Amino acid sequence: MRSIVGEIVNSSDGVTVMDMEASIEHLSRGTLRYVDALLVVLEPYYRSMETAGRTVPLARGLGIERIYGVANKLRSPEDAEAVEAYCRNHDLELIARIPFDENVVEADRVGRAVIDYDAASPIVEELSRAADFLLREVRVGGNGAGRN
Amino acid sequence: MKIAISGKGGSGKTTISATLTRLIARRGLSVLAIDGDPNPNLIQALGLGPGVEAEAVPRSVVERREDEAGKTRHVLTSSVSEIVGRYGLKAPDGVTVLVGTKVDHAGAG
Ligand SMILES: Nc1ncnc2c1ncn2[C@@H]1O[C@H](COP(=O)(O)OP(=O)(O)OP(=O)(O)O)[C@@H](O)[C@H]1O
Ligand SMILES: [Mg+2]
Repeated sequence: MRSIVGEIVNSSDGVTVMDMEASIEHLSRGTLRYVDALLVVLEPYYRSMETAGRTVPLARGLGIERIYGVANKLRSPEDAEAVEAYCRNHDLELIARIPFDENVVEADRVGRAVIDYDAASPIVEELSRAADFLLREVRVGGNGAGRN
Repeated sequence: MKIAISGKGGSGKTTISATLTRLIARRGLSVLAIDGDPNPNLIQALGLGPGVEAEAVPRSVVERREDEAGKTRHVLTSSVSEIVGRYGLKAPDGVTVLVGTKVDHAGAG
């Protein structure tokens, strides 16, 4: 199944965003081989970061050069510092620092997209910056240069 | 540009994938969002109402072929636009979403 996703991603020429499954055993070559950038979501708990971080060497081994951290559910400056320290130690550039956002919880509860629930939500603002970064650094500067 | 989002279970992958997808689409690009999770919920996070379901892309769109060196290659049996036309759903901001999994882990990858 993963190779199906991989083949579709490889053959499509627009922007593709892939929501991956959690278990890293399945992050096989099939799916990851073609990606220009891998975002690793990091919650500010050591074990969560360790689990998520295991994809990093795997992805580097597959030749993915652009691997970025995205901190999520930050509740304090200490949380932010914990993720920043993890990224420094693992040579990972942190491109978003998303706070714990009640709007996400509420939007989920009513079955809506958070961007529709409240476009001014902190998560939306933080990911706007990440979107600009990716379009600038990866789309323009990356393997995908000249393509979408 | 092809972006993949990984992370521990429950860390926020789907919420982040969906929001980033919508934001990139709002910048005028055509975006294909792919749900690679065996419990698909990207559709709802993208803003399609509860109860909307997509037909998962079946295995039959990929065929295994052996090349001269005897190496197995996977090739699509129809074009991406045909696959997207048949299995894709339209989400807000012009996003298209495909559900890529109905899992059978055995022999996958
Ligand atoms: N920034 C945030 N603030 C508050 N809650 C959040 C935030 N991000 C995600 N959540 C909540 O965390 C839970 C998991 O989020 P999500 O489904 O996006 O994670 P996931 O990594 O895709 O999970 P799974 O591994 O089950 O697919 C959801 O209940 C969601 O509402
Ligand atoms: Mg998910």
